[in-house]
Amino acid sequence: MPSAIALASVPPNLERAIAGLDGSLLTAPRRSELLARAFELRSGREKPNRFWKIDLDALDYSAIDVSAAPAPKLQAPSTRGLIVCDLQTAVRDHADLVRRAFGSACDVSASKFAALSAALCNTGAFVYVAADAAPAEPIEITYDAAAALFPYTLVVLERGANCTIVERVRGSAPFVGGISEIVTGEGSAVTYCAVQDLATPSRAVFTRAAKPAKDAAAVLCVAELGAALSVETIEIVTEHPGVDAQINILFFPRSDEHVDVVSTVHHAAGDSQSHTLVKSAATGRGQARYLGNIRIAPHAQATEAALRDDALLLSKRSHIDSVPALEIAANDVKAYHGATVGALDEDQIFYMTSRGIERSDAEKMIALGFFEPVVERFSTKALREEIRAALQAKVSE
Amino acid sequence: MSDRGLRIKDLHVDVAGNHILKGIDLTVEPGRVHALMGPNGSGKSTLAFSLAGHPNYNVTSGTATLDGEDLFALPPDKRAKAGLFLSFQYPAAIPGVKVANFLHAARQAVRPGDLTPAKFRALLMEKLETLDMDPGFLGRYLNDGFSGGEKKRLEMLQLAVLAPKYAILDETDSGLDVDALRAVGESVNALRKSDEGKETGFLIITHYPRILQHIEADVVHVLIDGRLVKEGDAELAHRIEREGYDTLREEIGQLA
Repeated sequence: MPSAIALASVPPNLERAIAGLDGSLLTAPRRSELLARAFELRSGREKPNRFWKIDLDALDYSAIDVSAAPAPKLQAPSTRGLIVCDLQTAVRDHADLVRRAFGSACDVSASKFAALSAALCNTGAFVYVAADAAPAEPIEITYDAAAALFPYTLVVLERGANCTIVERVRGSAPFVGGISEIVTGEGSAVTYCAVQDLATPSRAVFTRAAKPAKDAAAVLCVAELGAALSVETIEIVTEHPGVDAQINILFFPRSDEHVDVVSTVHHAAGDSQSHTLVKSAATGRGQARYLGNIRIAPHAQATEAALRDDALLLSKRSHIDSVPALEIAANDVKAYHGATVGALDEDQIFYMTSRGIERSDAEKMIALGFFEPVVERFSTKALREEIRAALQAKVSE
Repeated sequence: MSDRGLRIKDLHVDVAGNHILKGIDLTVEPGRVHALMGPNGSGKSTLAFSLAGHPNYNVTSGTATLDGEDLFALPPDKRAKAGLFLSFQYPAAIPGVKVANFLHAARQAVRPGDLTPAKFRALLMEKLETLDMDPGFLGRYLNDGFSGGEKKRLEMLQLAVLAPKYAILDETDSGLDVDALRAVGESVNALRKSDEGKETGFLIITHYPRILQHIEADVVHVLIDGRLVKEGDAELAHRIEREGYDTLREEIGQLA
């Protein structure tokens, strides 16, 4: 197969870059191995339709110049039992904590973009919340991507800990490859909000993975607001009972932007619940594909899983392919899914215009309102306002 | 001014290729209450929707003017700005749009900049009280998950907040319990007594004369098969309640 040969060749500029990257957590040989893996593996994401322009297995990396990147901006309340620092500092000062958690919720060699992001990791953050600690304020991590950025965010919650994390990625880097790995202890509760608001030419791939412990709650909220291409892979694996998992996603490609999101909740153990909620819109020639997986293993009885996915097409040439996929092997479960794709509802528009609101304003209000059920899941008022403003700018185009 | 009023002349309307309204002549005068009664399928809602400008209702001939302004030349939002209001029988649910924000946007559109945010808030609170509605309503999504009664109350709240020149109430009374019906009546009467609403003309579309026990109608019109067949005072509504539409139909048949 000629394509297999093409896939297997690692771009020399990326291979050369490894020598300049920090080797304390990921050694140079490990990075090389992961890089090779990234180009062996297929993304598993076929072009959904003829309008989709980008081949995710043949992205051009030749212009990407990878070198050590600045540490993220960090903001955290001073709480006993809370460690928030950049990843390099964490490897130096909290080596045991980092090594114990690193890779335990995210197998970076298992998928193309995770392997790529880990191989070229050039910045990162570490959050550690000790047992029963509960910082009152959210922990904010901001990656300003001026040049190619491969941030690795490692979050560890011990037993009974509770925290909210806000991760922002912004800037105009040509390429961003990020990983968020969330490792939680029994009875802990984490809310992880990620907002990608990169400038128009950027391409971004993100992998988010959480493996909640027994009786733990994990909420992942992801807003894909910018970039020419964003590829998002979100996975929660429940290996213990009592888990409450929630995934909330919104995205809104405009102009020629492409967004490809796959979320998976894998119920490997029973007595757990999960809720996945996705709201997406597209305008201009914006393209998007969402694949929502719910997997319930044969012995994962008494699982409750819900998946709701709504897509709104605001222009004739925009497309959103939406595919919910439920794989249920247990017989005593409750699983719900619903998906809609459509244009704005004329009856809604008429109702608003009949109250004196101009049609274009009515359309904007309805489109913004459409995202609200996901927006309101994001943790802080400031963050919600930020997201609303970004969405508002898109609907006003 | 001779052209004041909501004046409908020889109105013909098609819906999905069916000729529904077959020449309606009706004038709603400022400050007056007109009741429009008729059996199911007679074209009552068609009249309401075509006046408000719903795209599925095709006006094939006739005119409608609001204080002289040609309604059919205007898109729906401009009809509302001209002073027309339609209380929907089945208002659309719009998830994500909060009632308070919607009401504010609508008031701003219809009466731009006439109230400070504080005064608007005070107005809302006063109207909520008249309608016996919980202020928690304002934070909910527009009609989303509302019961039938809640939707109708919200329509009445909008009527009160927008204080239009002419209001069409399309079966606002249907599906309401006694308390909700009384609240609707009180809300309309409160508007008619207010400075903003004392000149408001009403066209109250209904099956049943029940609502007319709460709002006194000056004129009752009867619409059957797309034509206004009879006009009278409140007594006509009571007669319809006693005898139904069939007697009227027979009477008209005999005349024709």
